[in-house]
Amino acid sequence: MSRRRKRSIFDLMGEYMEDFRRWAEETIGLVTAEQPSWNTGTCCLEPLCNVFVTIDEVVVTADLPNTNPDSVRIKATGEDLLEIRAEMKRKLRFDDFGITHRRGEFSSFRCQVRIPVPVDTEKMKTYLKRGVLEAHLPRKRRQRRLSN
Amino acid sequence: MSEPVRIVEKEPTPPDAIAVQGLPDVGLVGLIATAHMVSELNLKEIAYVDSNLLPPIVVLHDGLPHSPLRIFANKSLIAVIAEMPIPADTVQPITQAIVNWLQSKNVKMTISIGGLPVPDRQNIKDPKVFGAASNASVLKMLQEKGLEILTEGYMVGPQALVMRYCAEKNLPAIALLAQSFYNYPDPEAAAAAIKELTNITGLKVNVSQLIEKGEEIRLRARDVMKRTQNEMTRMKKSQEYDLPLYV
Repeated sequence: MSRRRKRSIFDLMGEYMEDFRRWAEETIGLVTAEQPSWNTGTCCLEPLCNVFVTIDEVVVTADLPNTNPDSVRIKATGEDLLEIRAEMKRKLRFDDFGITHRRGEFSSFRCQVRIPVPVDTEKMKTYLKRGVLEAHLPRKRRQRRLSN
Repeated sequence: MSEPVRIVEKEPTPPDAIAVQGLPDVGLVGLIATAHMVSELNLKEIAYVDSNLLPPIVVLHDGLPHSPLRIFANKSLIAVIAEMPIPADTVQPITQAIVNWLQSKNVKMTISIGGLPVPDRQNIKDPKVFGAASNASVLKMLQEKGLEILTEGYMVGPQALVMRYCAEKNLPAIALLAQSFYNYPDPEAAAAAIKELTNITGLKVNVSQLIEKGEEIRLRARDVMKRTQNEMTRMKKSQEYDLPLYV
Protein backbone atom coordinates (compact mmCIF):
# COMPACT_ATOMS: atom_id res chain seq x y z
CA MET A 1 0.00 0.00 0.00
CA SER A 2 1.42 3.35 -0.95
CA ARG A 3 1.84 5.82 1.80
CA ARG A 4 0.01 9.10 1.33
CA ARG A 5 2.23 12.15 1.39
CA LYS A 6 1.30 14.56 4.13
CA ARG A 7 0.19 17.83 2.55
CA SER A 8 2.05 20.95 3.58
CA ILE A 9 0.41 24.28 4.33
CA PHE A 10 1.61 25.43 0.89
CA ASP A 11 -0.20 22.49 -0.78
CA LEU A 12 -3.36 23.39 1.09
CA MET A 13 -3.03 27.07 0.18
CA GLY A 14 -2.43 26.15 -3.45
CA GLU A 15 -5.54 23.98 -3.50
CA TYR A 16 -7.55 26.69 -1.80
CA MET A 17 -6.40 29.30 -4.32
CA GLU A 18 -7.22 26.99 -7.22
CA ASP A 19 -10.71 26.35 -5.80
CA PHE A 20 -11.17 30.08 -5.33
CA ARG A 21 -9.98 30.81 -8.87
CA ARG A 22 -12.49 28.31 -10.29
CA TRP A 23 -15.27 29.67 -8.12
CA ALA A 24 -14.47 33.26 -9.15
CA GLU A 25 -14.38 32.33 -12.85
CA GLU A 26 -17.70 30.52 -12.62
CA THR A 27 -19.52 32.96 -10.34
CA ILE A 28 -18.14 36.33 -11.43
CA GLY A 29 -18.03 35.18 -15.04
CA LEU A 30 -21.75 34.47 -14.92
CA VAL A 31 -22.60 37.72 -13.20
CA THR A 32 -20.37 40.15 -15.05
CA ALA A 33 -19.95 38.57 -18.46
CA GLU A 34 -19.38 41.40 -20.90
CA GLN A 35 -22.60 40.94 -22.85
CA PRO A 36 -25.10 43.63 -23.80
CA SER A 37 -28.18 44.00 -21.63
CA TRP A 38 -30.34 43.74 -24.76
CA ASN A 39 -31.01 41.12 -27.41
CA THR A 40 -32.35 42.26 -30.78
CA GLY A 41 -33.00 38.64 -31.79
CA THR A 42 -35.52 38.04 -29.03
CA CYS A 43 -36.52 41.75 -28.74
CA CYS A 44 -35.78 41.53 -25.00
CA LEU A 45 -34.07 43.74 -22.47
CA GLU A 46 -32.43 42.16 -19.45
CA PRO A 47 -33.79 43.69 -16.24
CA LEU A 48 -31.65 44.51 -13.22
CA CYS A 49 -32.07 41.68 -10.68
CA ASN A 50 -31.06 40.87 -7.13
CA VAL A 51 -30.96 37.70 -5.05
CA PHE A 52 -30.96 37.91 -1.24
CA VAL A 53 -30.48 34.81 0.87
CA THR A 54 -31.84 34.94 4.42
CA ILE A 55 -32.08 32.22 7.07
CA ASP A 56 -35.63 31.30 6.04
CA GLU A 57 -36.01 32.31 2.42
CA VAL A 58 -34.50 33.53 -0.80
CA VAL A 59 -35.83 36.85 -2.09
CA VAL A 60 -35.45 37.59 -5.78
CA THR A 61 -36.22 41.09 -7.05
CA ALA A 62 -36.24 42.56 -10.55
CA ASP A 63 -36.65 46.16 -11.69
CA LEU A 64 -39.37 46.17 -14.36
CA PRO A 65 -40.16 49.76 -15.38
CA ASN A 66 -42.55 50.44 -18.29
CA THR A 67 -44.24 47.05 -17.92
CA ASN A 68 -47.84 46.00 -17.77
CA PRO A 69 -48.33 44.41 -14.30
CA ASP A 70 -50.66 41.71 -15.73
CA SER A 71 -47.94 40.51 -18.09
CA VAL A 72 -45.33 39.78 -15.43
CA ARG A 73 -44.52 36.04 -15.28
CA ILE A 74 -42.10 34.22 -13.03
CA LYS A 75 -41.60 30.47 -13.11
CA ALA A 76 -39.10 27.86 -12.05
CA THR A 77 -37.31 26.38 -15.08
CA GLY A 78 -35.15 24.06 -13.01
CA GLU A 79 -34.39 23.25 -9.39
CA ASP A 80 -32.22 26.33 -9.03
CA LEU A 81 -33.36 28.51 -11.91
CA LEU A 82 -36.13 31.10 -12.18
CA GLU A 83 -37.22 32.79 -15.38
CA ILE A 84 -38.73 36.27 -15.27
CA ARG A 85 -40.65 37.72 -18.21
CA ALA A 86 -42.70 40.90 -18.61
CA GLU A 87 -44.21 42.69 -21.58
CA MET A 88 -43.51 46.39 -21.96
CA LYS A 89 -46.34 48.89 -22.09
CA ARG A 90 -44.68 50.53 -25.07
CA LYS A 91 -42.10 49.08 -27.47
CA LEU A 92 -38.70 50.71 -27.35
CA ARG A 93 -36.24 51.22 -30.17
CA PHE A 94 -32.59 52.20 -30.03
CA ASP A 95 -33.73 55.62 -31.34
CA ASP A 96 -35.56 56.13 -28.05
CA PHE A 97 -32.19 56.01 -26.30
CA GLY A 98 -30.73 58.47 -28.83
CA ILE A 99 -28.75 55.67 -30.51
CA THR A 100 -28.83 55.88 -34.30
CA HIS A 101 -26.06 53.43 -35.23
CA ARG A 102 -28.00 50.32 -34.16
CA ARG A 103 -31.32 48.92 -35.31
CA GLY A 104 -33.80 46.93 -33.27
CA GLU A 105 -36.77 47.19 -30.98
CA PHE A 106 -37.62 45.74 -27.61
CA SER A 107 -41.00 44.61 -26.41
CA SER A 108 -40.27 42.68 -23.23
CA PHE A 109 -37.98 42.03 -20.30
CA ARG A 110 -36.53 38.59 -19.82
CA CYS A 111 -33.90 37.09 -17.55
CA GLN A 112 -32.91 33.92 -15.76
CA VAL A 113 -31.89 34.01 -12.13
CA ARG A 114 -29.89 31.26 -10.46
CA ILE A 115 -30.90 30.46 -6.88
CA PRO A 116 -27.81 29.68 -4.79
CA VAL A 117 -29.47 27.41 -2.17
CA PRO A 118 -32.26 24.77 -2.33
CA VAL A 119 -35.73 26.36 -2.26
CA ASP A 120 -39.34 25.22 -2.51
CA THR A 121 -40.51 26.84 -5.74
CA GLU A 122 -44.05 25.48 -5.22
CA LYS A 123 -44.44 27.82 -2.25
CA MET A 124 -43.16 30.91 -4.07
CA LYS A 125 -45.04 34.14 -3.32
CA THR A 126 -44.73 37.15 -5.61
CA TYR A 127 -45.52 40.84 -5.34
CA LEU A 128 -45.16 43.76 -7.71
CA LYS A 129 -44.69 47.16 -6.09
CA ARG A 130 -43.49 50.40 -7.67
CA GLY A 131 -42.48 48.42 -10.78
CA VAL A 132 -40.24 46.10 -8.78
CA LEU A 133 -41.03 42.38 -8.78
CA GLU A 134 -40.38 40.60 -5.51
CA ALA A 135 -40.46 36.78 -5.23
CA HIS A 136 -40.14 35.02 -1.87
CA LEU A 137 -39.04 31.38 -1.95
CA PRO A 138 -38.85 29.42 1.32
CA ARG A 139 -35.59 27.54 1.78
CA LYS A 140 -35.62 23.76 1.92
CA ARG A 141 -34.23 22.56 5.22
CA ARG A 142 -32.47 19.41 6.29
CA GLN A 143 -32.81 19.18 10.04
CA ARG A 144 -30.33 17.15 11.99
CA ARG A 145 -30.68 16.30 15.66
CA LEU A 146 -27.50 16.62 17.68
CA SER A 147 -26.50 13.27 19.23
CA ASN A 148 -25.31 13.17 22.82
CA MET B 1 5.47 64.77 -14.91
CA SER B 2 1.88 65.87 -15.53
CA GLU B 3 -0.68 65.77 -12.73
CA PRO B 4 -2.68 62.54 -12.53
CA VAL B 5 -5.99 64.48 -12.51
CA ARG B 6 -6.48 67.76 -14.41
CA ILE B 7 -9.55 69.98 -14.47
CA VAL B 8 -9.59 71.57 -17.91
CA GLU B 9 -11.53 74.84 -17.92
CA LYS B 10 -13.47 75.90 -21.02
CA GLU B 11 -15.37 78.87 -19.61
CA PRO B 12 -14.95 81.17 -16.57
CA THR B 13 -16.23 79.75 -13.30
CA PRO B 14 -18.84 81.81 -11.41
CA PRO B 15 -17.56 83.13 -8.04
CA ASP B 16 -19.31 82.35 -4.74
CA ALA B 17 -21.39 79.59 -6.28
CA ILE B 18 -22.88 76.52 -4.65
CA ALA B 19 -21.39 73.30 -6.03
CA VAL B 20 -23.47 70.14 -6.39
CA GLN B 21 -21.89 66.74 -7.04
CA GLY B 22 -23.79 63.88 -8.60
CA LEU B 23 -21.42 60.98 -8.92
CA PRO B 24 -22.77 57.47 -9.64
CA ASP B 25 -23.55 55.67 -6.42
CA VAL B 26 -26.47 53.99 -4.61
CA GLY B 27 -29.62 54.07 -6.83
CA LEU B 28 -27.81 56.60 -9.06
CA VAL B 29 -29.62 59.18 -6.92
CA GLY B 30 -26.91 61.84 -7.20
CA LEU B 31 -26.36 61.34 -10.91
CA ILE B 32 -30.09 61.44 -11.75
CA ALA B 33 -30.70 64.49 -9.53
CA THR B 34 -27.74 66.45 -10.86
CA ALA B 35 -28.46 65.54 -14.49
CA HIS B 36 -32.00 66.81 -13.98
CA MET B 37 -30.71 70.10 -12.54
CA VAL B 38 -28.30 70.53 -15.46
CA SER B 39 -31.19 70.09 -17.87
CA GLU B 40 -33.86 71.99 -15.92
CA LEU B 41 -31.64 75.00 -15.12
CA ASN B 42 -29.98 74.93 -18.53
CA LEU B 43 -26.45 74.80 -17.10
CA LYS B 44 -23.54 75.10 -19.55
CA GLU B 45 -20.42 72.99 -19.60
CA ILE B 46 -17.54 75.04 -18.17
CA ALA B 47 -14.89 72.38 -17.49
CA TYR B 48 -14.10 68.69 -17.62
CA VAL B 49 -11.92 66.25 -15.77
CA ASP B 50 -9.02 64.70 -17.64
CA SER B 51 -7.08 61.89 -16.03
CA ASN B 52 -5.07 58.92 -17.17
CA LEU B 53 -6.41 57.13 -14.08
CA LEU B 54 -9.83 56.91 -15.76
CA PRO B 55 -10.68 54.19 -18.29
CA PRO B 56 -10.18 55.13 -21.96
CA ILE B 57 -13.77 56.31 -22.50
CA VAL B 58 -15.37 59.28 -24.20
CA VAL B 59 -19.09 59.92 -24.23
CA LEU B 60 -20.58 60.95 -27.57
CA HIS B 61 -23.32 63.59 -27.56
CA ASP B 62 -24.66 64.87 -30.88
CA GLY B 63 -21.73 63.13 -32.55
CA LEU B 64 -19.05 64.92 -30.53
CA PRO B 65 -16.77 63.43 -27.86
CA HIS B 66 -16.95 64.54 -24.22
CA SER B 67 -15.23 63.55 -21.01
CA PRO B 68 -17.52 61.32 -18.92
CA LEU B 69 -16.73 63.57 -15.94
CA ARG B 70 -17.82 67.14 -16.60
CA ILE B 71 -18.57 70.37 -14.75
CA PHE B 72 -21.54 72.57 -15.64
CA ALA B 73 -22.57 75.96 -14.26
CA ASN B 74 -24.74 79.04 -14.40
CA LYS B 75 -24.18 82.25 -12.41
CA SER B 76 -24.82 80.73 -9.00
CA LEU B 77 -24.58 76.96 -9.32
CA ILE B 78 -21.82 74.55 -10.31
CA ALA B 79 -22.71 70.92 -11.03
CA VAL B 80 -20.17 68.09 -11.18
CA ILE B 81 -21.50 65.07 -12.98
CA ALA B 82 -20.10 61.71 -14.08
CA GLU B 83 -21.81 59.67 -16.79
CA MET B 84 -19.95 56.52 -15.80
CA PRO B 85 -19.01 55.10 -12.42
CA ILE B 86 -15.69 56.29 -11.07
CA PRO B 87 -13.46 53.22 -10.69
CA ALA B 88 -13.08 52.36 -7.00
CA ASP B 89 -9.29 52.69 -7.06
CA THR B 90 -9.44 56.22 -8.52
CA VAL B 91 -12.21 57.71 -6.36
CA GLN B 92 -9.64 59.19 -3.96
CA PRO B 93 -7.48 61.21 -6.41
CA ILE B 94 -10.49 62.23 -8.51
CA THR B 95 -12.58 63.55 -5.60
CA GLN B 96 -9.52 65.21 -4.07
CA ALA B 97 -8.81 67.04 -7.34
CA ILE B 98 -12.45 68.14 -7.60
CA VAL B 99 -12.50 69.46 -4.02
CA ASN B 100 -9.16 71.28 -4.53
CA TRP B 101 -10.53 72.87 -7.69
CA LEU B 102 -13.81 73.89 -6.04
CA GLN B 103 -11.88 75.47 -3.19
CA SER B 104 -9.67 77.38 -5.65
CA LYS B 105 -12.90 78.75 -7.20
CA ASN B 106 -14.10 80.01 -3.81
CA VAL B 107 -17.37 78.09 -3.80
CA LYS B 108 -19.67 78.97 -0.90
CA MET B 109 -20.63 75.39 -0.19
CA THR B 110 -20.56 71.93 -1.74
CA ILE B 111 -23.56 69.60 -1.70
CA SER B 112 -23.16 65.90 -2.50
CA ILE B 113 -26.36 64.13 -3.43
CA GLY B 114 -26.62 60.39 -2.90
CA GLY B 115 -28.78 57.49 -1.88
CA LEU B 116 -29.25 55.79 1.44
CA PRO B 117 -30.09 52.15 0.68
CA VAL B 118 -33.14 50.74 2.46
CA PRO B 119 -34.19 47.10 2.01
CA ASP B 120 -37.93 47.85 1.95
CA ARG B 121 -37.76 50.72 -0.54
CA GLN B 122 -40.74 49.29 -2.50
CA ASN B 123 -42.97 50.07 0.49
CA ILE B 124 -41.85 53.69 0.85
CA LYS B 125 -43.98 56.22 -1.03
CA ASP B 126 -42.10 59.37 -0.06
CA PRO B 127 -38.39 58.71 0.50
CA LYS B 128 -36.97 60.54 3.48
CA VAL B 129 -33.81 62.60 3.07
CA PHE B 130 -31.04 62.64 5.67
CA GLY B 131 -28.18 65.08 5.95
CA ALA B 132 -24.58 65.11 7.06
CA ALA B 133 -22.29 68.12 7.33
CA SER B 134 -18.58 68.89 7.31
CA ASN B 135 -18.66 71.14 10.37
CA ALA B 136 -20.80 72.04 13.37
CA SER B 137 -22.20 75.30 11.99
CA VAL B 138 -23.39 73.67 8.75
CA LEU B 139 -24.89 70.83 10.79
CA LYS B 140 -26.77 73.37 12.89
CA MET B 141 -28.06 75.05 9.74
CA LEU B 142 -29.37 71.70 8.46
CA GLN B 143 -31.14 71.06 11.76
CA GLU B 144 -32.71 74.52 11.66
CA LYS B 145 -33.99 73.72 8.16
CA GLY B 146 -35.71 70.66 9.63
CA LEU B 147 -33.48 68.05 8.01
CA GLU B 148 -33.01 64.75 9.81
CA ILE B 149 -29.32 64.19 10.54
CA LEU B 150 -27.22 61.07 10.04
CA THR B 151 -25.76 61.04 13.51
CA GLU B 152 -23.79 57.78 13.60
CA GLY B 153 -22.67 55.29 10.99
CA TYR B 154 -20.39 54.85 8.02
CA MET B 155 -20.36 56.69 4.72
CA VAL B 156 -18.56 54.96 1.86
CA GLY B 157 -17.81 56.22 -1.63
CA PRO B 158 -17.37 59.51 -3.47
CA GLN B 159 -19.59 61.64 -1.22
CA ALA B 160 -17.79 60.30 1.85
CA LEU B 161 -14.45 61.49 0.48
CA VAL B 162 -15.85 64.84 -0.66
CA MET B 163 -17.09 65.32 2.90
CA ARG B 164 -13.72 64.35 4.38
CA TYR B 165 -11.63 66.57 2.10
CA CYS B 166 -14.02 69.51 2.59
CA ALA B 167 -13.81 69.07 6.38
CA GLU B 168 -9.99 69.09 6.15
CA LYS B 169 -10.08 72.34 4.15
CA ASN B 170 -12.82 73.89 6.26
CA LEU B 171 -14.98 74.17 3.15
CA PRO B 172 -18.68 73.99 4.11
CA ALA B 173 -20.09 70.73 2.76
CA ILE B 174 -23.37 68.88 2.98
CA ALA B 175 -24.33 65.35 1.98
CA LEU B 176 -28.01 64.85 1.15
CA LEU B 177 -28.89 61.18 1.18
CA ALA B 178 -32.36 60.05 0.12
CA GLN B 179 -33.78 56.64 1.03
CA SER B 180 -33.40 54.59 -2.15
CA PHE B 181 -32.98 51.24 -3.83
CA TYR B 182 -29.41 49.98 -3.58
CA ASN B 183 -28.85 48.95 -7.17
CA TYR B 184 -31.98 50.02 -9.05
CA PRO B 185 -32.05 53.56 -10.48
CA ASP B 186 -34.29 55.63 -8.24
CA PRO B 187 -35.66 58.87 -9.78
CA GLU B 188 -38.19 59.32 -6.95
CA ALA B 189 -35.35 59.40 -4.43
CA ALA B 190 -33.53 61.88 -6.68
CA ALA B 191 -36.63 64.11 -6.69
CA ALA B 192 -36.84 63.92 -2.89
CA ALA B 193 -33.17 64.96 -2.60
CA ILE B 194 -33.69 67.90 -4.97
CA LYS B 195 -36.70 69.09 -2.95
CA GLU B 196 -34.53 69.10 0.17
CA LEU B 197 -31.75 70.90 -1.71
CA THR B 198 -34.16 73.64 -2.74
CA ASN B 199 -35.32 73.93 0.87
CA ILE B 200 -31.73 74.41 2.05
CA THR B 201 -30.38 76.66 -0.70
CA GLY B 202 -33.43 78.56 -1.90
CA LEU B 203 -32.73 77.40 -5.49
CA LYS B 204 -35.84 76.74 -7.56
CA VAL B 205 -35.86 73.40 -9.35
CA ASN B 206 -39.06 71.85 -10.69
CA VAL B 207 -39.06 68.06 -10.24
CA SER B 208 -42.36 67.25 -11.99
CA GLN B 209 -40.55 66.25 -15.22
CA LEU B 210 -38.26 63.99 -13.23
CA ILE B 211 -41.23 62.18 -11.69
CA GLU B 212 -43.05 61.97 -15.02
CA LYS B 213 -40.02 60.52 -16.79
CA GLY B 214 -39.23 58.14 -13.92
CA GLU B 215 -39.84 54.92 -15.85
CA GLU B 216 -37.89 56.12 -18.85
CA ILE B 217 -34.95 57.10 -16.63
CA ARG B 218 -35.01 53.68 -14.97
CA LEU B 219 -34.81 52.06 -18.39
CA ARG B 220 -32.01 54.27 -19.63
CA ALA B 221 -29.97 54.01 -16.45
CA ARG B 222 -29.83 50.18 -16.27
CA ASP B 223 -26.37 49.74 -17.74
CA VAL B 224 -24.76 52.59 -15.76
CA MET B 225 -26.40 51.17 -12.63
CA LYS B 226 -24.99 47.69 -13.32
CA ARG B 227 -21.45 49.00 -13.74
CA THR B 228 -21.85 51.27 -10.72
CA GLN B 229 -22.87 48.25 -8.65
CA ASN B 230 -19.59 46.52 -9.56
CA GLU B 231 -17.62 49.56 -8.37
CA MET B 232 -19.73 49.84 -5.19
CA THR B 233 -18.86 46.23 -4.41
CA ARG B 234 -15.17 46.98 -4.96
CA MET B 235 -15.27 49.96 -2.58
CA LYS B 236 -17.16 47.88 0.03
CA LYS B 237 -20.24 50.10 -0.06
CA SER B 238 -22.20 47.55 1.97
CA GLN B 239 -20.22 48.72 5.00
CA GLU B 240 -22.81 51.50 5.26
CA TYR B 241 -25.14 48.83 6.70
CA ASP B 242 -22.64 48.11 9.51
CA LEU B 243 -23.26 49.11 13.09
CA PRO B 244 -20.44 51.41 14.12
CA LEU B 245 -18.24 50.91 17.17
CA TYR B 246 -17.09 54.13 18.71
CA VAL B 247 -14.50 54.01 21.45
